[in-house]
Amino acid sequence: MSAKEHSEQGSGPFLELRNIHKRFGGVHALRGISLTLELGEAYHLLGENGCGKSTVIKIMSGALEPSDGDIALDGQTFSSLSPIQSLAAGIETVYQDLSLLPNLTVAENVALNEQLVGANGRLARLFDRSRLRQTAERALAMVSLPTDRAFLGTTVSDLPLATRQLVAIARAIATRAKLVIMDEPTTSLTRREVDNLIRVVERLRSENVAVLFVTHKLDECYRIGGHAIVFRDGQCVAQGLIEQYTKKELTELMTGRSIGSERYRTGKPAETELFAASGLVAPGVHDISFTVRKSEILGITGLADSGRNELAMAITGIEPASGGTISVDGRKVAIRRPADAIGHGIGYVPEDRLAEGLFLDKSIFENEIALILTRLSNAFGIIDKNKGRAIAARLSEEMRLNTKNLDLPVGALSGGNQQRVLIGRWLSIAPKLLVLHGPTVGVDVGSKDMIYRAIQSLAEAGMGLVIVSDDLPELLQNADRILVMNSGRVVAEFEAERATEDQVYKAMLTSELEAVQ
Amino acid sequence: MSTSRIDGLSENTSRSFSLGDLVRRRPESITFMLLVAICAIVAIVNPAFLQPSTLIDIGRASVVMGLFALGVFIILAAGGIDVSFTAIAAFTMYSLTVLVLNHFPGMPMAVIMLIAVAGGALLGIINGLLVHHLKVPSLIVTIGTQYLFRGFLLSFIGTVWIMSLPPQMGAFGRMPLFQFESANGALVTLPVYFLILPIAALVTWWILNRTLMGRAIFAVGGDANIASRLGYNLRTVHVFLFGYAGALAGLAGIIHVCANRQANPFDLVGTEINVIAAVVLGGARITGGTGTVLGTILGVLLIVVINSVLVMVGIPSTWQRLVVGSFILLAAAFFVTRQRKK
Repeated sequence: MSAKEHSEQGSGPFLELRNIHKRFGGVHALRGISLTLELGEAYHLLGENGCGKSTVIKIMSGALEPSDGDIALDGQTFSSLSPIQSLAAGIETVYQDLSLLPNLTVAENVALNEQLVGANGRLARLFDRSRLRQTAERALAMVSLPTDRAFLGTTVSDLPLATRQLVAIARAIATRAKLVIMDEPTTSLTRREVDNLIRVVERLRSENVAVLFVTHKLDECYRIGGHAIVFRDGQCVAQGLIEQYTKKELTELMTGRSIGSERYRTGKPAETELFAASGLVAPGVHDISFTVRKSEILGITGLADSGRNELAMAITGIEPASGGTISVDGRKVAIRRPADAIGHGIGYVPEDRLAEGLFLDKSIFENEIALILTRLSNAFGIIDKNKGRAIAARLSEEMRLNTKNLDLPVGALSGGNQQRVLIGRWLSIAPKLLVLHGPTVGVDVGSKDMIYRAIQSLAEAGMGLVIVSDDLPELLQNADRILVMNSGRVVAEFEAERATEDQVYKAMLTSELEAVQ
Repeated sequence: MSTSRIDGLSENTSRSFSLGDLVRRRPESITFMLLVAICAIVAIVNPAFLQPSTLIDIGRASVVMGLFALGVFIILAAGGIDVSFTAIAAFTMYSLTVLVLNHFPGMPMAVIMLIAVAGGALLGIINGLLVHHLKVPSLIVTIGTQYLFRGFLLSFIGTVWIMSLPPQMGAFGRMPLFQFESANGALVTLPVYFLILPIAALVTWWILNRTLMGRAIFAVGGDANIASRLGYNLRTVHVFLFGYAGALAGLAGIIHVCANRQANPFDLVGTEINVIAAVVLGGARITGGTGTVLGTILGVLLIVVINSVLVMVGIPSTWQRLVVGSFILLAAAFFVTRQRKK
């Protein structure tokens, strides 16, 4: 190990891509990408969905062969890498889906791959349990996870998402990685968990490991520091220290147009009260009351365990409230299941659009009309496809989908477009109140812009909107009011126009700060 | 999904020891309890159950099913399913008997068994390659090969019921591990072939828990796409899995012949569901990635005991399916509620 380290010191960059091209059939996904990655540095690969970020990662990890160009790894030049070559050289990828095996233990997930790579992928080998444990302990300690036997033996499906994220990172570094690629690692994390992740990254860098982030969250890039690499349409349009760029400049480089951070919200809520919750009680929600007026956009935020998710699920009937009252248009209504909420004109766009909302292998058309099938069908249950297509076309237009082909499977769309299909589906029932849960999670800057514009025009049209999110700039730019939750209660209310991110964040942490003092 | 809720859960799981925890971590404990309960009830109703001869009968009857079940379990662990193993067993046992009878009457028993294992493995590997390269669910592939293997056997090898086995095979079926005279004067024998089941179970356990292949099998059962992305070679895993299950089936087939002292080409096929039921009762999830060898063996014992003891307590044997069916539903309901509670 030590001998290896010596030979590499000062011997130039760890990984260099030289004029890489990649074509998929007629699509020219990468057009001459040249990158240099040095050990011990942090890099942020930025760009909109579909700009070639994932293609470049796959080329580095050996999952794809470039159509043209060279890869220099540790001083050796290759025309392409195989997955085992890439792993053996110390390139580890933490995929967005984490790629953990849910049925195996933490120790196995973290450390089994070391033995697999050590055996060069051959399976007719004994499995060394004590080495498994040692490797797992070392890697888990690096990411500040427990290393006791009970934790090592826990099945991964029993772990919370944030812990799984760290387990996936532990696996990446268990094999003495030199370059760790993280594909949108913070998408599912709360701020507190992100802080923890940032500490892990600092520790990795201090151990001379290079880290490459693929992310949409610019704020985090600035907090981590390092180099920004901006892609647009398969080309690298900027490369340099991230401090040299302002957020606005980076956004412009990514999208090729100018998107400001000014408020999207220009309208005013109407006087009429649309929705009122009073004394709402549900698991994780204690006595919450609030109102939403017509044309109003209400933001609700808090840490992951603040009860904000539970509140959203209570008012939409997914995990119904056990106490309190809900009124729509001044009339008391009972919401015991999602169908009740839909019946009273409350729509819900869930956070996890893949698991809870969309049929990925079905077309845009079929996804858009999923809620109005009964309305579209005649007495024999036959669906009027033409009418459905007309509605789907109108919704796609309204949501500014980037394709006119309604038969495209939703799985083929980018995250931002998927989200727009999901919101579009809810518009089909013309809800009075639309609850959006993390509407731009995992969505690129350009799509965010379009989603925000769509939200604003919905409010203009008289709809009430509730945005549940921990993306504070999102709430500050879009909402009229922001409710901050903590431990199942509303602890603060802000007027979005005058509040700052700092104030809101402090309120999110309130009770914790008190507990510390 | 809310993080806080799962947070609460992991606290729960690491807290004190409880029956629910035990069942969740080791679902086969339910199988064990069911088995003990049934044995206790039967022993009370009819003390004859506890006679050594009954227990030996149960042991003898579980060999073939147990070998099948180990094969099914290992495939289930990798997220697949196999319904062709009975056809593989029938094909191997009958073709081999015909071969020995007509061409190599002097072939030693050890060689016969080796050929049975190799033949079964070969047919299994065909399954594995088809599953891998056609990218079709293994249920469909093995339904196809079940018909194929059996059709080939009945069309080209023969349909004649062979009543007189080659002598070495008959002798093997009778060779005693130990024998004694029971109270009523009958000679009770535990045959040597009984040993094959515990040996096969140990080998299977060892492969699953002590080799990289074993871990790869569970990894593939957890999520095949992810496993492949992590560098596990799916083709190797599939070929090994089905080859191993085929080898076990070939072995089971030849034991079936020796134990029954006849080779009937129409035998075995049709008992797949019984075997799959035993594996599922042993706590392996039908969706793959879980289960233990011990659980599988317990599941087999449970089914064999139900089959053989119902008669002893005066319940008609036609009730057997009724009982097994209710047990499967009960056990499944229990496992599922445990899963939800977690």
